[in-house]
Amino acid sequence: MKTSVRGWLLPVVLSVMVVAAGCLGGSSRSRGTSTPAGPTPGATQPGARPQATATPTPRAASQRASGGTFTRLWADPPTLDPHLTSDTTSAGLVVEIFSGLVALDTDLKIIPDIAERWDVSGGGSVYTFRLRDGVKFQDGKAVKAADIKYSFERVLDPRTESPVADTYMNDIVGAQDKLKGLVREVRGVRVVDERTLEVTIDAPKPYFIAKLTYPTAYVVDRQNVESGPGWTNKPNATGPFKLAEWVPGQRLVLERNQHFYRGVAKLERVHFILSGGVPMTMYENNEIDFTGVGQAELDRVLNPNDPLNKELLRGDPSFDVSYIGFHVGKPPFDDKKVRQAFTLAIDKETIAKEVLSSLVVPAYGVLPPGFPGHNPSISGLRFDPVQAKKLLAESKYGGPEKLPRIIMTVPGTGGTVGLDTEVILEMWKQNLGVTVEVQQTEWATYLQDLNRQRFQMFGGLGWNADYPDPQDFMDILFHSKSFNNHGAYKNLEVDRLLELARVEQDSDKRIKLYQDAEQTVVEDAAWIPLWYTGERFVLIKSYIKGYKLTRLIVPKLKDVSIERP
Amino acid sequence: MTAYVVRRLLWLPVLLVIVIFITFVLGTYGPGDPVEVRLGTKANPEAVARLRTQMGLDRPFVVQFADYVGGVVRGDFGDSYRYQGRTVLELILPRMWVSAQLNLAALLLVVAIGIPLGMAAARFQGRWLDPAIVTGIVFISSLPVLITGPLFLLVFVVLLKLVPSAGWGGLFDTRIIIPAVAIAVPGLALIVRVMRTSTLEVLSQDYVRTAYAKGLTPGIISRRHVARNAFLPVLTMLGFSVAGLIGGTIIGETIFGIPGIGRLAFESIFNRDYPVIMGITIIGAATFVLANLLIDVAYTFLDPRIRY
Repeated sequence: MKTSVRGWLLPVVLSVMVVAAGCLGGSSRSRGTSTPAGPTPGATQPGARPQATATPTPRAASQRASGGTFTRLWADPPTLDPHLTSDTTSAGLVVEIFSGLVALDTDLKIIPDIAERWDVSGGGSVYTFRLRDGVKFQDGKAVKAADIKYSFERVLDPRTESPVADTYMNDIVGAQDKLKGLVREVRGVRVVDERTLEVTIDAPKPYFIAKLTYPTAYVVDRQNVESGPGWTNKPNATGPFKLAEWVPGQRLVLERNQHFYRGVAKLERVHFILSGGVPMTMYENNEIDFTGVGQAELDRVLNPNDPLNKELLRGDPSFDVSYIGFHVGKPPFDDKKVRQAFTLAIDKETIAKEVLSSLVVPAYGVLPPGFPGHNPSISGLRFDPVQAKKLLAESKYGGPEKLPRIIMTVPGTGGTVGLDTEVILEMWKQNLGVTVEVQQTEWATYLQDLNRQRFQMFGGLGWNADYPDPQDFMDILFHSKSFNNHGAYKNLEVDRLLELARVEQDSDKRIKLYQDAEQTVVEDAAWIPLWYTGERFVLIKSYIKGYKLTRLIVPKLKDVSIERP
Repeated sequence: MTAYVVRRLLWLPVLLVIVIFITFVLGTYGPGDPVEVRLGTKANPEAVARLRTQMGLDRPFVVQFADYVGGVVRGDFGDSYRYQGRTVLELILPRMWVSAQLNLAALLLVVAIGIPLGMAAARFQGRWLDPAIVTGIVFISSLPVLITGPLFLLVFVVLLKLVPSAGWGGLFDTRIIIPAVAIAVPGLALIVRVMRTSTLEVLSQDYVRTAYAKGLTPGIISRRHVARNAFLPVLTMLGFSVAGLIGGTIIGETIFGIPGIGRLAFESIFNRDYPVIMGITIIGAATFVLANLLIDVAYTFLDPRIRY
């Protein structure tokens, strides 16, 4: 009976999760399941140089819109306000309705959006953006540099209560002061003229421009925002789609924006079903045009004799890494050899293949494949049970018998911890002779304890990129002073490398600094990196053209079209 | 009787304040913080502190409590923490209405199927049909929505293609049929068994024997004497069901794509969306009290022996 229940529950839960996270990403939690997280915002080379002026899209071609409606499942977004967006459900919609100075294209390169170009001066600290001609809000009103300034001021206003302003905008001079309520205006944002905006940052950080691709830096219309708290129900924005209808819990409908300055969308409408349902059933019943494919359905869909196989689209994985973390201050993980032993005792290849159906790729480093700075030849700590036992014996505890009680905490609601975790526990038992206990805590409690560094060992977490720069992984996770360093890892050499990398202008040197830091972190076994999400599988109807699976959340619906024979 | 009703109603505000207090205490002093949940693992302690102050979460407990109760009295249940800019009422009321409709449909099914079956089982007591009905119903009822839901989907949607698999069209839309049946099924067993026991008890009463002796037809006896009296215990149970009408079944809602209150309630707990949790709790408690009052009043019409 258990298998048949799991057989039904798993596809329901997995499919809903995969669809909701599908093709998008950006939030950094996983709920203790082994589902691959969705893709995360794209990667480009750090330290991007100023782009050449964008060529205007030929009007004639963009007018030849194909029309039609693309229907898919989604979930109720917590918000449509770009300045409050911190999760993938909201971000996936927000990037289609709103836009900002720069964007990421479907190949995850930084492209000019509202800004047609920018110059970097002042040793790398001053960005001068030149706005495109003819950018309009959806009601036809022209967008000026003052609107961008208003938007930046608004997101940094403490009354806006933006949860992400600190992370994305605090490099701007005066931003922190405004957030703390010390000043009324952000010194580092200056309107030069109607089409020129100057932004000054506190140090020549090359990753700044990548951060501006995130919704926190998007433009909003002052009149619209000031019309009242319900303004997100009728946003007047600058993106390729307008919000046509939003019935919470039921549906959200986007409509083509005729004024979009970078090529009008081909689709007439996009219909998001918010009320739920079983994705595969709905897809096969032609109620939706697109669905993610969960582990339970994979065999059927991969079978070349199954008609669904023709509608299968495979995509690159999102940029995330799943891991088990150690608290380096709590015994026995205060001894590096113990941490290394635990890492060496896990046969990741077998688990990835047999337990997770190769939906994941074993990870030996921190940065995922395809992400800037990823080191494909990192040696890492590979499976070696003999060495693992030896290291444990060499540690200050002398062997498995003298170890204190070890508890690994994972998020969960009291059900199974997942077969992959169970196998890992079994491997530790067999290869090291250590019995590790697992404790499941529900998410909010888990988060609270995690932030206060109360765990000895913690799992069930994944980390995804929000912007395409290794700083988002290495610095935020492993710098000793970072508050996201949940294991209290401290290595002064790593700190030094990370601090140098923050301001290194030469992108090759910068990458090398991050890779050196990564090498040290891996050897120190601060974490056990487990896996990167593997290839993603989705089903999409054959009449939908131009849909790309992206590794981060980027606007992409405007290039999708429907071609019925 | 008016005095009785008024007295019962006067307890309502007292009860609600107690409910609010308990939930408030659990929320304030329990583990987990709504701001931390919103910010996730990338939380910045400065941002967390700043947001908590903006949201008024660092005010003393008494201040927050008084503020909240004052708001509720004015009909203001506050804004959701998770769904920015949306008031609690606009989030939960439409969903409660949907759940109420769905559960009403399920309730009608349970009554329409369960009561006659229970009476039939009692009538055929001693013959094979009685245990057959009871065993059959108990078995079918033991199947949770998790099993029956996908099963129905498979048969009626995928194989027979009778209705779309998901979505909500209101009480009179065909899409309500399968979810209503799936949700009604687990409730059948209890109704059938209680009705059966109750009917058996009534059948052994003197006045029923007298009715037969008088020469009344079994049909009339059944309707005029047995059914009404046997129904009373079932009514009590249905009272609880009515009170639970606005409750949602998460699994049913997820499988059939119904925008009901179940999923929102479940998610709100995980997200520590306290205003929504409080709103659902308060309205739930109030509905429970009112529904029970209604049932108790209904008794006076059904059973002349009961007077308040």
